[in-house]
Amino acid sequence: MHRTTNTRPVALALLLALALSGAASPAFAATPDLKAILKAMDDLSDMGKKDYSALYDIVSEKPGEKPSTTQVKIFRRDDHDQIVILIQKPEANKGQGYLKIDDNVWFYDPESGNYSHSTMKENVNGSEAKNSDFKKFSYATDYDIERSEEGKLGAFQTWVISLVAKNNEVSYQRIKLTVRQDKPLPLKEEDFSLNGKPMRTTLYLPTYIQAGDKTIPAKMKMIDEVNKGEQSVITISDVFVGKLDDKYFQKTFLESAR
Amino acid sequence: MEIIKLALRNLSRQKKRTLLLGGAIAFGLMIVTIINGFVGAFKDNISENFANLVAGHVFVEGVEKSASGKELSLIHDDSAIVEAVKDAGIPAKYVTKRSAFEGTLVYAGKTAQVGVYGVDFANETFLPDRLAFLSGGMKGMSAGDGIVIPEPTAKRLGAEVGDRILVQLKTYTGQQNVGEFAIAGITVDSGILNSSSAYANKPYVNELLNLQPGDYQTYGVYLPSLEGMDKYGTALYESLRKKAQVFSRDNKGTEKNFIKAMMSQSKKETWTGTKYRVLTLNDYLQQVQQIVDVLNSVSLGILLVLFLIIMVGILNTFRIIIYERIHEIGTMRSMGMQRGEVRSLFLWEATFLTLGGVLAGILLALLIMGGVSLWNFGLNSPLFIILKNGHMSFKLPFARTLADILIVAALTLVAAYIPARSAARLDPAVALRTVK
Repeated sequence: MHRTTNTRPVALALLLALALSGAASPAFAATPDLKAILKAMDDLSDMGKKDYSALYDIVSEKPGEKPSTTQVKIFRRDDHDQIVILIQKPEANKGQGYLKIDDNVWFYDPESGNYSHSTMKENVNGSEAKNSDFKKFSYATDYDIERSEEGKLGAFQTWVISLVAKNNEVSYQRIKLTVRQDKPLPLKEEDFSLNGKPMRTTLYLPTYIQAGDKTIPAKMKMIDEVNKGEQSVITISDVFVGKLDDKYFQKTFLESAR
Repeated sequence: MEIIKLALRNLSRQKKRTLLLGGAIAFGLMIVTIINGFVGAFKDNISENFANLVAGHVFVEGVEKSASGKELSLIHDDSAIVEAVKDAGIPAKYVTKRSAFEGTLVYAGKTAQVGVYGVDFANETFLPDRLAFLSGGMKGMSAGDGIVIPEPTAKRLGAEVGDRILVQLKTYTGQQNVGEFAIAGITVDSGILNSSSAYANKPYVNELLNLQPGDYQTYGVYLPSLEGMDKYGTALYESLRKKAQVFSRDNKGTEKNFIKAMMSQSKKETWTGTKYRVLTLNDYLQQVQQIVDVLNSVSLGILLVLFLIIMVGILNTFRIIIYERIHEIGTMRSMGMQRGEVRSLFLWEATFLTLGGVLAGILLALLIMGGVSLWNFGLNSPLFIILKNGHMSFKLPFARTLADILIVAALTLVAAYIPARSAARLDPAVALRTVK
């Protein structure tokens, strides 16, 4: 059956956004040890041995179109490299889901009751881009610090750190990170193409959810700098950090979730 | 000889009946011959049209594996390929060296996915002739950032010749990149095998892919014709494997799709340097061969069904003929004609009927095929993929046509044999006193 709303790109984008959505709160030195800041930023996305679940509300805007709202429930088990995304809104896509285990991703369609499988190492539509969108990268190990400067964004004193890729396999050649000085929390990330063109800007609004020892940015805005006018606002709620039941990371969960 | 003359005279005596029976045979054979002619040219036309778009019949792709295990499509030094092509004795009409990416074109808030081929237009002089421009043309390609896009893409973007569009893509190593093209021309969309393609200058495509100016991704050999494509593919494979690392073409796994099987090898294996993949157009067009096989089976099915119906008609008609000519049979038998000669008489009649029907059927089929092939459907026809330069073309496989004629002859003679045998067995006295 033809779906009226295609949430697949949104859900896939979420897999990317997830790498940045979790936040820990390690000790943050007053002296700018930039490497330590990058390491702290890397730790934000690493839940370690703990599982993570949250509800994501995504409002996407495209020029000339009405904003579309998607709501998904995320379950993560970083220790086993497992992610489950269950779509709850819009109604037409309710029950669709993604199960990611290692490099494999299964998409479940409740209408057909079938899974379609792809591996993250496969080409996308035969293109030369063979993988890596979902591959976790590390600010500290994949990037060199090109320069840094102090700045101010809103009410916050910040470090603006310009990074350049150490290898040619990470998605963005250059990243400009704006990080709060008082805590290792991101306020802004600007991603640039190989030839230095701005591609995406992510703004982290300074509202946070505390879950155990993790500080989660509760709202972020992702702006497409190539296709002007396209942007998504992601609001995170219902956060849980701890031990999740194994059932969430099995196909049977997606099949019975609708 | 007398029997043959008699048979011909009998057929000419009943002109209307002969025409109807012969016409039925001719009609059946004509239909099947047209189908055969269409199927015969079907794969050739698809192959040729596809070869024009992908620029070759035999291809070599280079694959490197990065330290992190990522596959990188790249040919840096092609000396081994050039040498292997020479050693394999491949009669290359053209050699193409292309780079390509799948990207998103962006214009005025609208996006469209398209495959962009990086072409060396100075070398691929045949390509502009193959592109059917709706607006613009090759003139705009003299600018390094010119691009030729298919009509559906232009419509989706709402862009026209002269507009500047953005492209978002990934480099050959998977990094995000953005470029800008100026639309030089808008072409008819061939739309074959999801191959909606745009063409740009290779130096700029290489720059966007982060390839060196002399690098490329696919080496294509354009043969003079489709003949020998597989043979040359195998020869190149054998020759290249003596000089460089080459992925095996022996598909021994469970994957039936040859291309998928070839691609999966690079996922499983590890190597250093460049490893090559040799492919032919036929490898890509496996599905087309399956369609051809199905069409051939359907054609044979139609032939058998049509001629089973015609057989029943012939059987009944000959029974009527024998009933009508029963006194004549009785007279001929009384005058000394042997049983075998009576049987032969009717079989000769059937033979001449078949011969006439076959000749007329083939002639009609040739006339219709010739007439249809004169019609120019245009290069923007949805039938583009099965056309040859905009025209429907037909190719009659000789062996298949001969087999069809023999089947028709055999079926007709079998149908006529039963009543002919009954006629031969008639007692002359019984035949003469039969009251009609």
